[in-house]
Amino acid sequence: MRLGLPIFLGYVPVGMAFGMLARSAGFTLAQAAACSGLVLAGAGQFVGLSLMRSGADLAAVWIATSVINLRYVLFGAAVSPYLRDAPLSAQASLAFSLTDETFAVNVADHQAGTADVASMSGVGAVSWIGWVGGTVLGAGLGSLVGDPARWGVGFAMPAMFTALLVGQMKDRSHVIVAALAASLALASSLVLPGKWFIVAAAVAAATVGAVVYR
Amino acid sequence: MSGGYVWVAVIGMAVATYAMRVVPITVLSRVRIPELLKRWLSFVPVAVMAALVAGEVFRPDGHWLGPAHNPYLLAAVPTAAVFYFTKSLLGSTLAGIACFLAFRALLG
Repeated sequence: MRLGLPIFLGYVPVGMAFGMLARSAGFTLAQAAACSGLVLAGAGQFVGLSLMRSGADLAAVWIATSVINLRYVLFGAAVSPYLRDAPLSAQASLAFSLTDETFAVNVADHQAGTADVASMSGVGAVSWIGWVGGTVLGAGLGSLVGDPARWGVGFAMPAMFTALLVGQMKDRSHVIVAALAASLALASSLVLPGKWFIVAAAVAAATVGAVVYR
Repeated sequence: MSGGYVWVAVIGMAVATYAMRVVPITVLSRVRIPELLKRWLSFVPVAVMAALVAGEVFRPDGHWLGPAHNPYLLAAVPTAAVFYFTKSLLGSTLAGIACFLAFRALLG
């Protein structure tokens, strides 16, 4: 529980931003809460929301969300050794709360030798409550605050993605793949409809990175 | 945006996301991931974020916006700097919004 508190503090305001944006995009309070409660993925939800707002095909929403959340496959593979002896039900329920932040906390906790199913469940539960609670708060308050554009909320997503991008640039290969992806995104946005350029550029740049950097 | 469209989209997102979380934990613990796939996965987050940021700051709302009149692009620079030095997602998001409001006001 205690380990989850920093995540809780980080999730509430970002969840609020999601709730406000979801409401301004036309979601009901129940839809915003269900989205956060069932998907529990920061960037994936924001991207899905921006695609839905532009009226994208369902397939585009699902594929974009899946591509962004593909990293969970890697996280899941990385934490699976910790849970080798846990029952299937514990593995299945812990998988639900696997995010960038819970992954980072649980890996650090495991390296300190104190992680178990109970501690990881606590981290997951506290994070979920922060994310969904923040969403409900934002979706509920959104109507009181009025037009969120006035408060610059329109830059919340670009700002968060910019920060996440900087956090992802761990070495030179990541910087080069990022530059390639950004260039490909802008170039392909000229020819591809809607926001398909994001998926196309990301898959192409990651493939080049995987082939070139071995 | 119709209610049915949102529900179907959200349920689909939830199913796809959960599948990606639960399959490796329950199955991949017994299988070795090929090295090439592992490397590809390691580049996916940075590539996605870069493509997203490029679209968001150069083409806000789907339209090209020149660098001199673009508060999104200008505000992204201090946002990146704040995150680089503080490692705070919340702090850099709030700082970015403040810079965005300032640039938007300055540019009229």
